[in-house]
Amino acid sequence: MSDKIAIKVEHVSKKYCKSLKRSMLYGVQDIGRNAIGLSSHPDRLRRNEFWAIDDVSFELKKGETLGIIGPNGAGKTTLLKMLNGIFWPDKGKITVRGRIGALIEVGAGFHPLLTGKENIYINAAILGMSKHEVDDKLDNILEFAEIGDYIDSPVKFYSSGMFVRLGFAVASHCEPDILLVDEVLAVGDLAFAYKCHRKMSEFRLNGGTVILVTHNMQAIRNICNRVIWLNNGKIKEFGEVHNVCDLYETHSITNKKGDLDNTGIRLHYDETVNISKVEFLCENSQNTIKLGAPLKIRIHYKTSRIVNRPVFIVSIYSVTQVLISTHYSHFDGLEVKSISGEGYVDYVVESPSLATGRYICSMTISEGEVSNVRDRHEKMYGFSIVGKKRSYGLVAYKVNWGLRDQR
Amino acid sequence: MNGPITTYEPDNSLKRGYLSIFMEIFNELKKNRWLTYQLFKRDFLAVYKQSLIGSFWALFLPLISVGVFIILNRSGIFNIGDINVPYPIYAILGMAFWQLFSTGLMSSANSLVAAGTMITKINFSKKSLVIASLGRSIISFLIQFILVALLFVCYGFVPNTAILLIPLVIIPILLLTLGLGFLVSLVNGVVRDIGNILGLLLTFLMFLTPVLYAKPKIGILGNFSKYNPLYYLVSAPRDLVLKGTSSELNGFFITSIISIIIFIICVVIFHLTETRVAERI
Repeated sequence: MSDKIAIKVEHVSKKYCKSLKRSMLYGVQDIGRNAIGLSSHPDRLRRNEFWAIDDVSFELKKGETLGIIGPNGAGKTTLLKMLNGIFWPDKGKITVRGRIGALIEVGAGFHPLLTGKENIYINAAILGMSKHEVDDKLDNILEFAEIGDYIDSPVKFYSSGMFVRLGFAVASHCEPDILLVDEVLAVGDLAFAYKCHRKMSEFRLNGGTVILVTHNMQAIRNICNRVIWLNNGKIKEFGEVHNVCDLYETHSITNKKGDLDNTGIRLHYDETVNISKVEFLCENSQNTIKLGAPLKIRIHYKTSRIVNRPVFIVSIYSVTQVLISTHYSHFDGLEVKSISGEGYVDYVVESPSLATGRYICSMTISEGEVSNVRDRHEKMYGFSIVGKKRSYGLVAYKVNWGLRDQR
Repeated sequence: MNGPITTYEPDNSLKRGYLSIFMEIFNELKKNRWLTYQLFKRDFLAVYKQSLIGSFWALFLPLISVGVFIILNRSGIFNIGDINVPYPIYAILGMAFWQLFSTGLMSSANSLVAAGTMITKINFSKKSLVIASLGRSIISFLIQFILVALLFVCYGFVPNTAILLIPLVIIPILLLTLGLGFLVSLVNGVVRDIGNILGLLLTFLMFLTPVLYAKPKIGILGNFSKYNPLYYLVSAPRDLVLKGTSSELNGFFITSIISIIIFIICVVIFHLTETRVAERI
């Protein structure tokens, strides 16, 4: 292995058992076979077993930061635990150069009855530090944890924030070469979360290698160089961070179509006035619009009488049900005397400034005034904006940055 | 960064051969001395911090058992047998050695299970956990020895100078306990039944082993004791303390060798299979 490589994973697989009783039986079998010096044939699947990690290979250079993303149950944490040596692969080989530190769950191993200080020593020992190291770093750890006088009280009486702060303080003073992080940075109050992120940045800037498992795509994009997208234990994509994240986000946005559509309700007050169809005019049929492209919605109506001064209303909501905008046709200058029979009205936003993500729309036809609703399709139509995500928040407008260096 | 290279692959140790296993085990134990001590401290502090009478719990079970046997004996229900020393001294001393084994085995059997969440979250030496769990039974042993010393004073009994050999003669029973502890903790980690059965089994075994009575010369118990390694490991050290010699020295030496062999086998088994514990616990 070249000494630039920090971690090398070759065709690694791990199997799990779905049934508890069988898992126990297999456990005894495997231990028995290993004990008498026989191989436990880890490469074969037995009844009720499946591959939780299936033929995963990758390499990570020193100083790189790798993100692991994927839906729940994709095997992210299992992979992380294998890199840490907690679980051993059933197939393949993992080679690690240097000391590994893991922030998989901070404060694991704390004993509630012992004082903070006692727990620091014990936890540090479990994490692989020597007595000498802990003695040296004790002041730094105490300072980082911000526990104050509570340090001599049993951990049992700590608030959960204090507990986590102390755990993180110990774990982060391990000085590993490779740091594995699993979703723990979201803990504690805001100030502490920032402190943790800063600590991790320092570690990376000093040439440390980091592997990060999280659902926070913003963190992944900000921190990582490369990303693995795991799906059902297999690598679906592996590569440059923005490419993989764009693919993943597009995939998860468009695949959730079913969740949002059909959740709306129709409020129909007048049998003679109908919204008959709603079309999203876009390049493909999946109601998917490219970031920055115009948003065009065509609302078809069908009436069996003359409707005087119709008002068309379109509302757009984010996935989290936040109202982004409601527009009324007559306020925007579309004054119509009357409609009857069939026809359609187009709603066009040239540059919608919506960030990538999933949105839901409501469509309404009113007669005469806004509140005289004839037919309302409440949150019945979903669409997606996809594309390269380079910003966060509900809106993504075009920004021109300027810099004047006054040296 | 030019740290050590670690590899994880299935049947890792098997591929490297048996000889290197011993080196691995030795290095691991040596490297983790401080960890073992910290784990022991954690165990110890946790137990004694939350109980009012603290360490004196260690005296509870031996005193009760011995008391029951004295009552049984005085009532003529049970014949303790031929002993030439005050019975309480004989019994408490025997219990001290016996409990080194029984409480040691019980706590090591539960050591991995009790640390379950830790094992699935952090990669550290599980051998240290098992070894540290033995610490508590050693502490209990020392406390019980204070009681024995008090009894010596009460009865005006002068123990043989061989009492100084105690640290040496408890080594075989400790090795046996630790060896079996490795094995039992491993199996208990996967199948919990073992831990439940073990308590019953040990009580049962205590009554079958001449701890609180002298070994009967004839009968089933007499024959059973002949093949019961625990009999030799308990009675020979006790005889040494009380009389300076023992009629069972040969048996003691043979059992000691067996204990060492059991210890080595179990440690190797543990080493070969400990990587499987985290995923099943």
